[in-house]
Amino acid sequence: MAKFVFVVPPLTGHINPTLSMGAVLLQRGHRVAWITLDKSLASRLPEGGELLHINYDENDQQKQDSEKYLDIITKKIVYGIDSLKFLYEEVLIPLNRHSYDGIAALLDQFEPDLVITDHQMFAGAIAATNKGLPYATSVTAPAAIKVMEELPKVHEWEVNQIVTLQKEYGVEATESIACSDLLTMVLTSQAFFGDMELTPNFRFTGPVINRPATKTAFDWDKLNESNKPKILVSIGTTFDHEHKKNFFAKVIEAFGNEEITAIVVSDPDLFEQWPDNFIVQRQVPQLDLLPYLDAVVCHGGHNTVCETLFNGLPMVVIPIAYDQSHVAGRVVRTGAGERLNFNRFKAHHLKEAVNTVLNNPTYKESAELIKQSFLEAGGTATAADLLEQFSVKQSLEALKN
Amino acid sequence: MDTVASTAKLNNDEIFDLMKQFITEVIGEEFVEEMDITPESSFTKDLEMDSIEIVSFSEKIKQHFGDQIDFTGWLSSMDLDQLIDLNLGTIINYIQECQ
Repeated sequence: MAKFVFVVPPLTGHINPTLSMGAVLLQRGHRVAWITLDKSLASRLPEGGELLHINYDENDQQKQDSEKYLDIITKKIVYGIDSLKFLYEEVLIPLNRHSYDGIAALLDQFEPDLVITDHQMFAGAIAATNKGLPYATSVTAPAAIKVMEELPKVHEWEVNQIVTLQKEYGVEATESIACSDLLTMVLTSQAFFGDMELTPNFRFTGPVINRPATKTAFDWDKLNESNKPKILVSIGTTFDHEHKKNFFAKVIEAFGNEEITAIVVSDPDLFEQWPDNFIVQRQVPQLDLLPYLDAVVCHGGHNTVCETLFNGLPMVVIPIAYDQSHVAGRVVRTGAGERLNFNRFKAHHLKEAVNTVLNNPTYKESAELIKQSFLEAGGTATAADLLEQFSVKQSLEALKN
Repeated sequence: MDTVASTAKLNNDEIFDLMKQFITEVIGEEFVEEMDITPESSFTKDLEMDSIEIVSFSEKIKQHFGDQIDFTGWLSSMDLDQLIDLNLGTIINYIQECQ
């Protein structure tokens, strides 16, 4: 038995894959814990998982800070290259600085054999290094490690932000240590990631999707009654009311009373009335739903895109910020979908793009190819195997036997 | 073809028109019609182009001018703030200097 600890940021998309990996490690008889700022994660942990909450002997200021980081990323709408600056300067660097002491203390307390840190929780890598503990990295947003050849300084700037923080905590490396030299798991396939030379410590595990079935209620009858093409429209939660209203007004104009069934993830109260061919819910059981659909419209979050491709579905991607533009670029490059510009697209563009991916079989065929590459990469089991292999105690015990 | 035309030296207005043509090709005619594109227009804030669109724009410049201008090299030397502030005028000046 080995002891694993995941260090996760308070971002659902980064946490979910660790829950799947952790569940497999627990089933295999290991001890698994999660270090997080978000106490509510306790209710979502797999059975037997331990919550290590970053909880300072807080004065009010620190407590306020902790809460602030839980939803900071949803508070501001940022776009394009500008969003990267916001992400590092206002979210990641302060979040990591705030978390460092807590992570270091919890590592002392738990004494893990292997730390698995999210690629955006550099504080996990820094703390592990300072404590002399081996660590692996889980790259949940693979675009982050992709360097745009044409704009190399963008990546260089990101690395500098991390290196400066490392120095603050006594790590003198001139390169970012966010991605572990031991094992960096890239949660996609090489086919979807694209061409780029990576050192052998980078391993493609494929997407780690294996969330337990959710109990989210859904109007299955209405879906089953429909014999029209079915699409899901899910644009994430990271923007404000006005933007949402604009966006969904265009969705209504594009698909209202068309020969299509549109499942829309939105607050139903956003509009007094939605078209009859829409199913609108605040939450949907996305993984249960995808096998019954024909296409997906989304903002290019890595998880939704991977889940869509895992079902061999074509998509229309409308990136808003962060790495979404890059993910959308990969969808287009692999032939699995079309992209639109979030600020500029009009209803008729959306309608045309969706019709294009629905009516032209090459999109679905390309999505199926990516699906195949995901299956070959192995997913959760591959990730768990790698983690077991790199937990030092585990290999020492294996030697003794 | 494009590359033949580029052997003649262009003045600022001609470069501006050419840049506008490339932007139209990248983001689509109907959007350009709605915008007031001037040399002061910044790619990120005014034209709302994201990194991938900026890269396709730069590919068009490269295609047009060929070896005459090391546009990719110039663009790749820009740091994050310079990229965020990059406007059409800066590019026009650069092309003018290289001719």
